[in-house]
Amino acid sequence: MRQIIFGAFVLVLLAAGNLSAFEGDSFGLPLTLSEPTMVSEIEKSPESFVGKRILITGTVVEVCAKRGCWLDLASDTPFKKIQVKVTDGVIVFPMSARGRTAHVEGVIEEIKLSEKEALEYRSHQAEEKGVPFDPAAVKGPQTIYRLKALGAVIEK
Amino acid sequence: MKWRRWNNLIHRDLGYFCFGLTIIYAVSGIAVNHIESWNPSYTIERSRTRLAEPLSSDGLDREAIASILAELDENGAYKNSFWPDPDTLQIFVEGNTLTVNPGTGEILQEKVSPRPVLHQMNYLHLNHPKKLWSWFADLYALFLGILAITGLFVLKGKKGIAGRGAWLSGAGIILPLLFLWLYY
Repeated sequence: MRQIIFGAFVLVLLAAGNLSAFEGDSFGLPLTLSEPTMVSEIEKSPESFVGKRILITGTVVEVCAKRGCWLDLASDTPFKKIQVKVTDGVIVFPMSARGRTAHVEGVIEEIKLSEKEALEYRSHQAEEKGVPFDPAAVKGPQTIYRLKALGAVIEK
Repeated sequence: MKWRRWNNLIHRDLGYFCFGLTIIYAVSGIAVNHIESWNPSYTIERSRTRLAEPLSSDGLDREAIASILAELDENGAYKNSFWPDPDTLQIFVEGNTLTVNPGTGEILQEKVSPRPVLHQMNYLHLNHPKKLWSWFADLYALFLGILAITGLFVLKGKKGIAGRGAWLSGAGIILPLLFLWLYY
């Protein structure tokens, strides 16, 4: 009897462990972290976060209109944001996510782009956002830090 | 019962069963195939307008945002706002994103709405529901495989797999191989 009660207790604990601390629409893997990292902390020293699994929270300010394969989260630093990228088709963020609060768990990745690659990348981004692109804004090689998302919860 | 009779019976009934899903996958397949040229799931309507009077960026609070929305007759539920830079304010309301330049009063509105029918078809085709739908979609794929195999043996004789069927089936195998040779 004691073993059954112990087993049931373990099962309840396991089930509770799978419950996300956040409510809303879930995408990808269930969230395992509950303490968010401030985006401003990542901005201060992004290279120290590369490869680390973290949770970030913020307002969704942009969503990939074509494939739903990325979104931008507002930073806690004024005028700043961070890009969240997913593997195409694995997670598809809806356009209705704009303006909602999202909790995203993933790994910070570093992408080094040559000037030519940076031009192509920024031009592609501008095209997706439907905004004009000024090639003069890209000067030299660039390093981009973004969150490769594994799972997300977007509040309703 | 002879094996061909069973074959044709399975082919016929699976064909009926798969009809609805095949239409969904076919229509959505064409729609998402051209994702570079259009958005298959949403219509995005962009329009520019201007406020009667420019505003000061300082002190643009919820009340000021409410008055901007009222001036534009925008009744969607307010969600949030964001300043991407000191001269630009983004206001998010249900179904609309307004990018406001308070200094000039210029506003870009982006009204997003799901395409009727296509949004739902793409939702299923691209397996957004996941969960049980994944299993059902796997079952459908299995049924398509059975349909293809049983289809080879529906007819016998010159119009069957021994004659005309062999040529057409061969073409259907060679063409993808040709594209692989060209692009892979």
